[in-house]
Amino acid sequence: MILKVNNVSKHFQGVKAVNGTSFHVEEKEIVGVIGPNGAGKTTLFNLISGSLPVTSGTIEFKGETITNQKAYILCKKGIGRTYQVVKPFGTISVLENVMVGAFNKHNSRDQAAKISKEILKQVGLYEKRDQIGNSLTLADKKRLEVAKALATQPALLLLDEVMAGLNPSEVKEILPLILQLRDEGITIVIIEHLMEVVMTICDRIVVVHHGEKIAEGTPKEIANHPEVIKAYLGDEVSYA
Amino acid sequence: MSKKHIFPILLAICAALYPVLSDDRYIMNILIMILLYATIASGWNILGGYGGQLSLGHALFFGLGAYTSTLLYLNFGLSPWVGMIIAVIVCIIAGMLIGIPTFKLRGPYFTLGTIAFAEVIRHVTLYWRDLTNGSMGLNIKYEPSFAAMIFKEYEYYYWLILGLLVLTTLLVHWIDRNKMGYYLKAIREDEDAAETLGINTSKYKMLAMMISTGITGLAGVFYAQFNLFFEPESVFHMNISTEIALIAIIGGAGTVYGPILGAFIIIPLNEILRASFPDIHGMNYFVYGILLIVIVILTPNGLLPIITKWWDKIFRKKVSKTKGVTKYDLESQ
Amino acid sequence: MMILQTLISGILLGGIYALISMGLNMILGVVRIINFAHGEFLMIAMYLSYIFYAWGGMDPYVSAIFIVIILFVLGLITQKGLIEPILDKPASTKIFATLGLSIVLQNLALMIFDANYLSVTTPYQSSVVNLLGIAISVPRLVSFGVVIAIVILLYLFLQKTMVGRAIRAVSMQRQAAYLVGVNVKRIYLLAFGIGTALVGLAGSMLMPIYSVYPTLGASFVLIAFVVVVLGGMGNMFGAFYGGLMIGVIESLAGVIFSPGLKEVIYFIIFILVLLIKPTGIFSKGKGSEAVGL
Ligand SMILES: Nc1ncnc2c1ncn2[C@@H]1O[C@H](COP(=O)(O)OP(=O)(O)OP(=O)(O)O)[C@@H](O)[C@H]1O
Ligand SMILES: [Mg+2]
Repeated sequence: MILKVNNVSKHFQGVKAVNGTSFHVEEKEIVGVIGPNGAGKTTLFNLISGSLPVTSGTIEFKGETITNQKAYILCKKGIGRTYQVVKPFGTISVLENVMVGAFNKHNSRDQAAKISKEILKQVGLYEKRDQIGNSLTLADKKRLEVAKALATQPALLLLDEVMAGLNPSEVKEILPLILQLRDEGITIVIIEHLMEVVMTICDRIVVVHHGEKIAEGTPKEIANHPEVIKAYLGDEVSYA
Repeated sequence: MSKKHIFPILLAICAALYPVLSDDRYIMNILIMILLYATIASGWNILGGYGGQLSLGHALFFGLGAYTSTLLYLNFGLSPWVGMIIAVIVCIIAGMLIGIPTFKLRGPYFTLGTIAFAEVIRHVTLYWRDLTNGSMGLNIKYEPSFAAMIFKEYEYYYWLILGLLVLTTLLVHWIDRNKMGYYLKAIREDEDAAETLGINTSKYKMLAMMISTGITGLAGVFYAQFNLFFEPESVFHMNISTEIALIAIIGGAGTVYGPILGAFIIIPLNEILRASFPDIHGMNYFVYGILLIVIVILTPNGLLPIITKWWDKIFRKKVSKTKGVTKYDLESQ
Repeated sequence: MMILQTLISGILLGGIYALISMGLNMILGVVRIINFAHGEFLMIAMYLSYIFYAWGGMDPYVSAIFIVIILFVLGLITQKGLIEPILDKPASTKIFATLGLSIVLQNLALMIFDANYLSVTTPYQSSVVNLLGIAISVPRLVSFGVVIAIVILLYLFLQKTMVGRAIRAVSMQRQAAYLVGVNVKRIYLLAFGIGTALVGLAGSMLMPIYSVYPTLGASFVLIAFVVVVLGGMGNMFGAFYGGLMIGVIESLAGVIFSPGLKEVIYFIIFILVLLIKPTGIFSKGKGSEAVGL
């Protein structure tokens, strides 16, 4: 078990963004986290990656309790994440953006550049490596998010809606990448609204609603889960 | 050593040879001021340009350096060469102490915080007459000797400050080419994103602060030895802080040679304006202010990126192998 | 008695600081720009007041009406001509644009008026009212009364009117305000105008008490920075309390320690506040870290 989230809560002045959620992730699994808008998915990632402190509960990574450790320490320990609201380093080149991540494990500039170029090829941004971060399209900025996180060489990768805003053919391009990353030994937790994506690539799915976990299981189990159907239909959001 | 380095090295050699060719004191004086400000602005650049922490309180360290070595010299007869080392240490510690509270602040509030600290020190220096001689300032007796770091010939000051600038530039160059430079730029662009990529942002900001304040303090010692007289307003005033930042920004903040270019523009500009309007009080600064606004608005990323782009266009034909907007295109917009 | 006397004169002085700082804070909170030329607007207002007095024989309290209008227009021009074009430029550009403006204005004044101290003479200049044995300067009392009136008016404006609410909305959440259809640019314009109008009024109130000279703005703007941090960035009424506080501190420090130390003391307080509560002592909201340039 690489990640274990125990009864974790995060409250923002009355808003219970995450409320007593528990789940775990096995090594080399792809786990999907789904739920309606405002369900608390991103907040959950913020807690796991150390971007926000928890209100209560504990988080374990590779058997070690890591609750409320600083984000940079967790990155060093092997947790990588992307931001749903992309955060490119706007005025430096795409290559330099990725190299910042690569310096996590490598001190030499040449080594960092080499690794970054490979990752850029993998995510399909190699041709744009000299452009500055701000000049990319949203789809490319999402790719850049993935590239930066990958460059830190994480054991656990948290992907927050990296496919939102991509067109179907772009989604088709990125899916094999995710599977390939798993084959390389990276464990992946993915937040995604595109049901067909979640259903095809995830081994297991965790469903959250109003900050609470309402269901967990294989894609098949989830698809027929009454609570899940109710949550989605009840919120009148058409995802599936 | 790649081709890229030849140009700056040649330039440094030419600069070093200059005093052999000419001994015009007026020009030499201006050159020394240019090199001095280039050094300080390069130091500021590490924190402000690379790290994006826009300090407008760097005069504090300039003055602190000057006062530290001079007081040690005047009161204990300590050679400024030793005083220089102590001054640097004092400035680094002061930088750390100031960094702890101010790094909690972001954007404009960081800037306000740095101004406040510099103002406190300026006022304390004015007030604490027993130690600092208040607004009367400090006078170093003109007794030329190597040990006292007082020279009869301007050349020695010139070489000394040129040496400091070269060392500073080498350091900035090293930072620029290594992890630290990348990390500082990442912090400048987005601190949260930087943190999630494994960067201990507090540590790197602090490191940048320490290097930056150390260099500024060093320059302060030089200034004291060169002028042999200074008072709180001439070293701690906010105008000095803004001048330092301005030089780096106009030249190109976050680039190795930008601050040097900036100093070669701003210091002579000031000099020319002063000479052009000797009769009307304030006219020179009035024009200076207008030019400042125009330049800053037209070239928000400084002049160096634009010059680099022209250079590349003329001598390398191709700016970039790839299509689309490149770094330089955007910087020059 | 001595202390009470000092306290009162401190509060009265603080009223003027409050007025200047509320103007600065309006601009900082809404337009998100440190207006380094804010002190120069004060200086301009005082010179205008002097001109009205010297050339037109107009009392500073009367000319205040014209000066507020003129300063409001100057604010609009500054926002339209200088700030608006650079809103999405880097922070350094914004800082140096207003710093440049401050240099330009300062030296313009130097060219026109030279470095002399200019002041007006009014019949009430040194009049004093006695309240329970405490002597209170009339012009200071008047200025304080005006400040109170302005604070109340401003409060009503920001809370009760549509435009006022839009201004608050922009200062709290500009993206959201934009999305619900607020014309953000126009709000910036208005906020800048109000900010300079406030400092214009402060200038008129100061004229019977102080002399004006070209670099007067520099010291006042630094005080205003301190007040704004004390009161909470973007928090208009925090700036009011902050202003009073600095006035009192300044007066007390002058008596208890030494007048030469007053700046040191309020800057130290400034730093302590930054350390302990960077959002300002009078603020409940987000504040400094949350507001980027
Ligand atoms: N920093 C914050 N301060 C206050 N409230 C917050 C903060 N971050 C999130 N929230 C609130 O917490 C709740 C959960 O937000 P979160 O972003 O985690 O949802 P989400 O599941 O990622 O939604 P989406 O699908 O839209 O991305 C929301 O009500 C949101 O407004
Ligand atoms: Mg989300």
